[in-house]
Amino acid sequence: MRGSPVRSNDFRLMVWGRNACFTRPEMKVERVSYDIMTPSAARGMLEAILWKPAIRWKVTQIDVLKPIKWELVRRNELGAVMSPRTTGLFIEDQRQQRAGLLLRDVAYTIHAYFELTDRAGEEDTVVKFTEMFVRRAEKGQCFHRPYLGCREFAADFRPIFNGQTLPAPISASQDLGWMLYDIDFSGAQTMPRFFRASLDKGRVMIDEKEVRP
Amino acid sequence: MILQVLAKYYERIPNVAQEGFQKQPISFVIVLKKDGHFAGLQDIREGEGRKKRGQPRLVPKAVKRTVRPTANLLWDNPAYVFGRVKPDTKKDIRKLVQRAKGQQALFLDRIKSTFSGNLADEGVAAVIRFLETAECEKIFDHPLWSEIEESGGSISFQLEGDLELVCQRDAVRSAVIRNSKSEDSVGTQICLITGNHDTPARLHTAIKGVWGAQSSGANIVSFNLEAFGSFGKTQGYNAPVGNKAEFAYTTALNALLAKGSRQRIQVGDTSTVFWAEKKHQIEDWFADIFGEPPKEDSDKDNAAIKALFTSPETGAESVLDDNTKFYVLGLSPNASRIAIRFWYAGTVGTVEQNMRQHFNDISIQHGRSQPAYLSLFRLLVSTCVQRKSENIQPNLAGDFMKAILTGTPYPRTLLSSAMRRIRAEQDVTYPRASLIKAVLVRNARHYQKGERKEVGMALDLNNKNIGYRLGCLFAVLEKIQEEANPGINATIRDRFYGSASSTPVIVFPHLMKLKNHHLAKLENRGRAVNFEKIIGEIVDDIKDFPGHLNLDDQGRFAVGYYHRRQDFFKKKDADE
Repeated sequence: MRGSPVRSNDFRLMVWGRNACFTRPEMKVERVSYDIMTPSAARGMLEAILWKPAIRWKVTQIDVLKPIKWELVRRNELGAVMSPRTTGLFIEDQRQQRAGLLLRDVAYTIHAYFELTDRAGEEDTVVKFTEMFVRRAEKGQCFHRPYLGCREFAADFRPIFNGQTLPAPISASQDLGWMLYDIDFSGAQTMPRFFRASLDKGRVMIDEKEVRP
Repeated sequence: MILQVLAKYYERIPNVAQEGFQKQPISFVIVLKKDGHFAGLQDIREGEGRKKRGQPRLVPKAVKRTVRPTANLLWDNPAYVFGRVKPDTKKDIRKLVQRAKGQQALFLDRIKSTFSGNLADEGVAAVIRFLETAECEKIFDHPLWSEIEESGGSISFQLEGDLELVCQRDAVRSAVIRNSKSEDSVGTQICLITGNHDTPARLHTAIKGVWGAQSSGANIVSFNLEAFGSFGKTQGYNAPVGNKAEFAYTTALNALLAKGSRQRIQVGDTSTVFWAEKKHQIEDWFADIFGEPPKEDSDKDNAAIKALFTSPETGAESVLDDNTKFYVLGLSPNASRIAIRFWYAGTVGTVEQNMRQHFNDISIQHGRSQPAYLSLFRLLVSTCVQRKSENIQPNLAGDFMKAILTGTPYPRTLLSSAMRRIRAEQDVTYPRASLIKAVLVRNARHYQKGERKEVGMALDLNNKNIGYRLGCLFAVLEKIQEEANPGINATIRDRFYGSASSTPVIVFPHLMKLKNHHLAKLENRGRAVNFEKIIGEIVDDIKDFPGHLNLDDQGRFAVGYYHRRQDFFKKKDADE
């Protein structure tokens, strides 16, 4: 047995950007964003900085640091799937103009921890990955650029360590309805999971007990 | 949130369709005897001439038609009901006939399969007998047949003596509801609207009544190309919306968008609907305030605005405490899909307050015959070519409306497009002046927190802004010219407005020289002295004509010009 715990301490990562689109599944063609970042988008953000098969990120809380503002944009998107047999696809023929109701000028603090998975080897310890994450986040290293919902909305990030003050969230409180928690890949068919999100003085608590299969 | 709130609104609307049903315009009703004999034909269309259209009736939900023909239950177009085609010279008649024959068979099959086994209902039995026997041929001799064929409108059946259609009979209702439950075999999933387990809807009912969309309707939740799917899922399974919730939100939205609905307005190219959490008076006057007013009926929109302004005086409650939720949803089409243009969720209290703020911001001195307050539509069309609503800039209307509802600064493009129209038409009209004033006032409040004095309702002699002063000066110069040459066709405004407001140094020295000639021509010497005095007051502390005015100052120029000019009219009114 490993001598160290399988769950890490909490990390806090502040992320921000000019635009964001956390697309709602029901309006993902003519995109409309969720009001705030979804837990799966936050997970993706952390995974961009550090991901190994041995660990699994769990987001516990998201703080909204800027008022929720919207922007309507029309963008060119692709309207076709490329067949595996074809030699290529000419984008000019498959272009579609689609509307997007995006978020503007966003900033969040993500609270998360990671767990070791079954694929963790003998040498994998929580301390090892904690150190790795801290080192990488401090230097701004990432596997790919973290993004706010869509790849084109690149995010800036900085870790907040113990002892540093957390940026204050906005004061708003509101019910956000059912929100995508994550995609469950364990079954034969991939299944979306939802949870009831509500903004409480600028904070969204993500309790896995609330997530509905 | 949008769909959630819509699904909730469904519970509020009275006598709306049950699950499995929808309202559909029906043009003709075939009346049958109980034994299936033809008893008569009713034309229930309303309207005149070519504008005749069917009456909305409650019928089993329409099927989605694709290339493959599918029939509706107990109602459909003439091709399906009678297997007769509209003659079309361009197409092969034999193929068309064959297709129609197939369609008719499908129509009959659909009825039979829905009510398989025991035919408990005599209405359905009558329809089947009518369709199976030569009885239905009688319709082709009916004098109205040619019109049915021509219009292609929907047909349904009714039993003689009944008030309801056959498809509205109790036995049919229960069969439809039973069927709609067992329709899909994909198993239940969590519904992303309600959070309950339900069978996800594969296709969503079309939303009708969005201006510019296909007349057969379009969808908000739609995955009509393979590229839109994820994780190997098809159609609606990409976004699991339960059948119940799907029915509730589409029915609610269709009711809001329906013809003659008091809860929809057209804002530019955006079809906008609005509703409150519970019945509220704001739903009644919102359309009057923001909508396109009936032609030359300014009393009506003023009445609504008056109601807005007097409500805090007459009502005991303060509006700010009114926490009833209020929603505004703007939709515009993109091919067969509907895009959300804007979405606003707030409370009645804040909406009322923000609307009042807006009307305070736009109010400006005006002629006696002009309405005291301008509707959103009138303001918007004043910024576009030929004052046609289709020329309003695409995003402008939605942004403007959102700024009003949230109380944020108006869109920047509003100012620039109003200025552009003024320069192009050399005319500072009442709506334009009021729009520019509103933009300036609101920006000042928002960005400078009231430190600087901004333009007001009427002429302000103490306003030291160079743009404002020059605007006043320009109005005086024009007035002098008009009085020197009564009945003149083109004044200095027609020739110099644009450059005077943007590059004063080029025009004003010349105009000041011109003024001396005009003054010399005036017969009334007292009047000339008076004008000199006014000009003296204005130019008193102008040292130099600036080389260039920025956009905001050009706006102040327009407002100054408008104020000064209105002031001349006011004096004249008082003299009379």
